Amino acid sequence: MSATMIEGVLLAFVLGCALGAAVLKDVLASVIAFAAYSLGVSVIWVVLHAPDVGLTEAAVGAGIMTILFLLALSNTVRPSHDQFFESIRLRTVLGVGAFVVVMAATVPALPEIGSSAPVSTGEVTTYYLEHAYKETQVKNAVTAVLAAYRGFDTLGEAVVVFAAGAVALGVLRREVFA
Amino acid sequence: MIDLLLTRYNYYATMLLLGIGLYMLIESENLVKKVIGMNIFQTGIFLFFISLAYVDGASAPIVGKDVEAGAHVSPLPHVLILTAIVVGVALTAVALALIIRIYAEYGTLNESTIEELNHD
Amino acid sequence: MSADSDQGRERQESPGLYVESTVIMTTVRVIAPFVLTFGLFIMFHGADTPGGGFQGGVVAGAVVMMLAFAYGIDTTRDWADARLVALLGALGVLTFVAIGLGSIALGGVFLEYPLYPIKKASKYGMELVELGIGAIVASIAVGLFFLLAAGFGHAMDEPEGDES
Repeated sequence: MSATMIEGVLLAFVLGCALGAAVLKDVLASVIAFAAYSLGVSVIWVVLHAPDVGLTEAAVGAGIMTILFLLALSNTVRPSHDQFFESIRLRTVLGVGAFVVVMAATVPALPEIGSSAPVSTGEVTTYYLEHAYKETQVKNAVTAVLAAYRGFDTLGEAVVVFAAGAVALGVLRREVFA
Repeated sequence: MIDLLLTRYNYYATMLLLGIGLYMLIESENLVKKVIGMNIFQTGIFLFFISLAYVDGASAPIVGKDVEAGAHVSPLPHVLILTAIVVGVALTAVALALIIRIYAEYGTLNESTIEELNHD
Repeated sequence: MSADSDQGRERQESPGLYVESTVIMTTVRVIAPFVLTFGLFIMFHGADTPGGGFQGGVVAGAVVMMLAFAYGIDTTRDWADARLVALLGALGVLTFVAIGLGSIALGGVFLEYPLYPIKKASKYGMELVELGIGAIVASIAVGLFFLLAAGFGHAMDEPEGDES
C-alpha cells in the first residue's frame, strides 16, 4: 500500500506527541501529551478500518487513563522544576537506539502493509468471516469472535478488570469503593 | 530504501514508539512518567498487530449474509488488541494505586530519592 | 520520614480538587442523560455495529465521572452508593459465568449458546454477556475513580500499629 497523506500526518502527530511526553520535564505536561497521543492513535485505528479498537482506545486511553493519571497526580505531588526539558542521557539513548535498529532490521522480512498475507487472509480468518453470521447470528465479526468463538478469553479479560478493582482496594487499604 | 519506507511505514513507527516507551521506562526519574512510558510501549505493539491485519481495499469486519473473499479486514488481531487495551488499563490502575501508596510511605515520587531512603 | 496517618483519621479531600463553575455544571446537567443513553446504545448494539460491552461500559462509567467534575467528588460519592457499585460489578461477573457454566449443565461445552431453549439463543445470549461485561467495566471504572480520588487510608475499624 502506498503511503497516503493522512496516514503520514497522523503518524507524525503521534510520534511528536510521544516524544513530547518523553522529553517534557513537568509530569502534568507529560500526561496531557499522552492524552493527545492516545487520541491520535485512536484516529489511526479508524483509518486502518478497526472501528471497535478505535472506540475502545478513545474511551479508555484518552478518557479513563487520563483521568486516573490526573487523580494520582492530585493525590501525590506535582514536582516543580526550573527546566522545561528533561536532560537526555546519551548512554540510554544509544542503548535504546541499538534495540530499535536491531528490531528495524527485521522489518523487510514482514509483508507489505495491505497485501494479502496468511495473517489477514488465511484459513482461520476466512472461516470466521464466512461463518460468523450463520453460526452466531450477529453481523459484527469482532463481537462474534469475542463473545462466541473465543468467549473463554473474554471471561478472563472481564475477571482481570474485576481483579484490578479488588487489588486497588487492597493496596490502598480501603474496604469499599468510596 | 525509500520503497521500504513507503510500504512498511507502520512497522517503522512501531519500532520508534517502542524505543520512546523503553527510554521513558528506563530513564525517567518520576514514577508516573514510567507508567506513561509503559503505556506508549503497549500502544506501539498494538499498532504492529493492527497493521498486520489490514488488507488493501477491504472494509471493516461487519459481515452480512454473503461474504466475498478478501472484502474484509481480518477480525482476529482486533479481538486480541481489544483484550490487550482493557488489560493495559487494569495494569495502569493498579500501578497508580501502588504509586499513591508509595507516596504515602516515602513522601516523594523521585526514583533515586526512594532508592536512597530504602538503603538506610 | 514516612507520611504516616493516625488511626481513625477522617478521609481528607485534597485542597483545591473541586472548583465550582457554572459552565461545567450547566453543561453536565444538560448532556449527562444523552451520554448515558449513548453508552447504553453502544452496549446494546455491539452485535451488529461496532461497539460492545467494553466501550459502552466505559462511556456509561464516564457519566458518573462527569457528575463528579460538576458537583464535587464528595457530593457524588455520597450520592453513588458504594455497595451498589460493587454489587453491579459482582452481578456482571456472575452473569457471564452463569451463562457459560449453564451450557455445561445442559450437557454441552462452555458457552455453547444453541443449547439454551429460547429462539435465537446465540444472539440473545451474546447480548446478555455483553451487558454483563458492560456492567463490570462501568462499575470498576466508577469504583477506581472514587478510590484513586480518596487516596490512601487505613481500613476503617482496625487500630493500626506503626508502619516500619
